[in-house]
Amino acid sequence: MLATPYVTCDYSKVYEPSEDSFLLLDALEADVSWLNNRFDGTAPLTVEIGSGSGIVSTFLMQNNIPNMNGIYLATDLNPWALEATLDTCSRNDCKTKRFDVLQTDLTSAIRKNEVDLLVFNPPYVPAESVPYVPVSKDAVHDDEWLFLALDGGDDGMVVTRRLLDTLDLILSENGVAYILFCARNNPETVSSHMKLRGWNSKLVEHRKAGWEVLSVYKFFRK
Amino acid sequence: MDRIGKVDNCSARSRGSTSNMKFLTTNFLKCSVKGCDNSNLNFPLHYVGANCQLEQDESIEFNPEFLLRIIDRLEWPAVVSVAADLGNNDLPPNKPEFDENLTEEDMVILRDLHTLLIQTNITEGQMQCKNCEHIYYIKNSIPNLLLPPHLA
Repeated sequence: MLATPYVTCDYSKVYEPSEDSFLLLDALEADVSWLNNRFDGTAPLTVEIGSGSGIVSTFLMQNNIPNMNGIYLATDLNPWALEATLDTCSRNDCKTKRFDVLQTDLTSAIRKNEVDLLVFNPPYVPAESVPYVPVSKDAVHDDEWLFLALDGGDDGMVVTRRLLDTLDLILSENGVAYILFCARNNPETVSSHMKLRGWNSKLVEHRKAGWEVLSVYKFFRK
Repeated sequence: MDRIGKVDNCSARSRGSTSNMKFLTTNFLKCSVKGCDNSNLNFPLHYVGANCQLEQDESIEFNPEFLLRIIDRLEWPAVVSVAADLGNNDLPPNKPEFDENLTEEDMVILRDLHTLLIQTNITEGQMQCKNCEHIYYIKNSIPNLLLPPHLA
């Protein structure tokens, strides 16, 4: 089993790595050779959306997933998360990796059809609404930033759905997206809708974590 | 050919920080405004050279194999235009091509491109969409492409 990166940050502002983060690491680890074959001979662009503490991007870089010649971008709405991501990267000796962070909504600032490996642990908790982005980095309450990482609106799917609806414009021809779901997101239904829209959709990992059942699906073109 | 990797107003020192926006990243950033997606002016962004601070960071080693692969996927006209924004007008108009057996001359070009793409970092600056003219900022090496609520 590949080692888990060392992480420490202010968890009142940035999502603390939890069962969902670890399941995502396990899913990516399980697919190492699949990814390696898929991107053989290329310099793949990996984008992690909502990198939070940076544990997932750091894990990918530490283990040269998808390959030795990768370039990496991490995005987040939360400026504290971007700082934490850079800090985690540096604590785990990933300073020499080709890695940048950017503050943006999903991948709206990234040129279309360039992303080879997309990884997203979305705000998946069903909630009345998706929170507004605080205007200032120093929000009145620290947890204003934190709630952006948690609340996913209706079915916890508002943000994920926004991504899936534009996936065709985001992924490169060979691109693949790994996305985390909880049971209340109805991932089986999402998966069959994606298949109807012409995507391959595969369950990579699933696990019961406390009262939650979490799963990671991957989506790629047929 | 002149040293194509050199950007004039670049201070030759590394802060040893992890927070570095590489020149390479400019090849992947476009305007966030949805309406601009229908325009071919939303990429590359225009880097307001006078307001950009650059630094040379040598922590990433030269890797010719990586460079060959990344050059293959780069949008070369965007490399040329952003380099010009930042004061480097020495890039060839066409993407350099390399044979399987790299000559010494090829290695010089690859080293220069390594200096430009990987070691040249934008630490502070402004980027502007050539379509909607919205200005984005790079602060402390982190580009912020979030839109104000009325544009989002």
